[in-house]
Amino acid sequence: MKNGTAFGALAHFLQERFPVDKMNFHSMVEKKEVPVHSMSWGYYTGGLTLFFFIIQVVTGLLLLFYYQPTVSDAYASVEYITKYVTGGALIRNIHSWSSSCMILFAMIHMITAFAMKAFEKPREITWIAGVLLLFITFTFGFTGYLLPWNQIAVNASKVGLQSVEAAGQYLPGQLSQLPRMAIETFQGEASVGQSTLGRFYAMHVVLLPMAIAALLGLHLLSVQLHGMSQGVDEPPRKVEKFFPVFFFKDVSLWSAVFLILFVIASTVPFDSFLPFPLLEPYNAMGSTPPGIKPEWYFYFVYYPLEMLPFWVILLASNIAVVVLLLTPWIFRGTSRRTLRYISLAASAYLVVITLFGQDILHMVKPGF
Amino acid sequence: MRAGAAIVFASLVVAWSQAAPAFSFPPFQQFSEKHSGRTTNCSMCHMNDDGPTGNGHGQIGGLTKDQLEQLNKARAALQPGSEVDNPILNKFGNEIVRKLGMQKVLELSADPAKLPEALGNTTDLDDDGIPDAQEYLDGTDPLNKSHGDPAKLFFINLSRCKLQIALAVVAVFLLDYGLAHLLKGLSIAAKTAEPK
Repeated sequence: MKNGTAFGALAHFLQERFPVDKMNFHSMVEKKEVPVHSMSWGYYTGGLTLFFFIIQVVTGLLLLFYYQPTVSDAYASVEYITKYVTGGALIRNIHSWSSSCMILFAMIHMITAFAMKAFEKPREITWIAGVLLLFITFTFGFTGYLLPWNQIAVNASKVGLQSVEAAGQYLPGQLSQLPRMAIETFQGEASVGQSTLGRFYAMHVVLLPMAIAALLGLHLLSVQLHGMSQGVDEPPRKVEKFFPVFFFKDVSLWSAVFLILFVIASTVPFDSFLPFPLLEPYNAMGSTPPGIKPEWYFYFVYYPLEMLPFWVILLASNIAVVVLLLTPWIFRGTSRRTLRYISLAASAYLVVITLFGQDILHMVKPGF
Repeated sequence: MRAGAAIVFASLVVAWSQAAPAFSFPPFQQFSEKHSGRTTNCSMCHMNDDGPTGNGHGQIGGLTKDQLEQLNKARAALQPGSEVDNPILNKFGNEIVRKLGMQKVLELSADPAKLPEALGNTTDLDDDGIPDAQEYLDGTDPLNKSHGDPAKLFFINLSRCKLQIALAVVAVFLLDYGLAHLLKGLSIAAKTAEPK
């Protein structure tokens, strides 16, 4: 009986989140309206993240034609793409810039959705799918970073994998074996090598795209079924049709962003921000060059890791993940005003640690 | 008299090179790092990231007999203008020796800030638009077209890609214009198809 009630509750929960009667073109497109208010710009951040994902897929497919996922050829194939393939440098550069933009906008989208309380009933599943999409996006970044097989790629991946392994000593009982098993699975050998490259490549081009496609489908279906969240406390005085008005505005914004991306990718090589010794082919017998760091989007966890004990970061990260996944229930009764303050504080932390993390680290640990 | 001085200097160079078998010039790298604030390494001028000492590729211990001959020939190129192909140096390192001569390089190692002035702004080996001397000051790779000061590359490439960017703007504008009309048409068609 108890099981029956639980099953009934679950069925009711899912019926409310996925109303079958609304699964038609009329409800999901023709009837859909978008509120117009001071936070309306927040509605475009998800579309931009999707746009950068599309760019990633297209440019990634083109790079697949030439990239060789072997330790002997990976670096040379990337160099070949950059130097000899027509438009290769531009495609690779768009892929690199767009990956950073995708992660940036995924983060902005999550923060604005939180500030607008877009996780409220019946959008809990939309939120959870979004959080999982963000984690997958970070994993995309981590796995893609290794593929050029240069000094920073291999050494930064080693540091990242070692951090995962180190987590084992803080976990109780059988759980302590979990990081080691994960490392064995994804690294595939004693140190980062051919097995790791092969597995990271498989994840980057097959497993993660499949996972992201499934979750993205769920996320977008949910968004179309329930429409845009109200976003502000007072009911909006004005609304606009999703199709064609909002849709056209969204596409126009994509065009403008594409132009900006095109200009930046044509003019500023993404690698030029790194010291050149880090871009040289990985040499297992050579010395490790100084300045090995993860990509900028991991700075929010990298710099605290350098400054604080590992267990503090591990605990904080786990709490953050649980809070993010349970946000629709934890913040159910919280006002939008409070949510905006929390969002502002989170944004301030992310901006400060990303831009000034190195200076803060110098202050905390002189000579680092 | 001049030839005598050159012989004496050459002997000094050989003696110095034996005392310091690596024959590298760390002051240049140190200056470049200090001036630019960027990490650099020996591969700015040398074949090997770890410099010329060792048995690896582009290091003295790993040279063949012919390459050792080339090395000695290059070390004796005291005056500017000699066509050198030193196997421990990369294209940029060899260009410095060709342009300035070993005598001047040795002098400049005591004052590495003067190297850019001595090199001038005429050579750009990677054709990225930034002169090699400037890349030395910026701590960027003078042999990699995709590596340079990001702000400088932005303006240089913006000027180089004007046509492509203009075409992209026109293409995107036309696409947007067409799409707007397509959406408007679809919207009107949907409204007319609605049952009254």
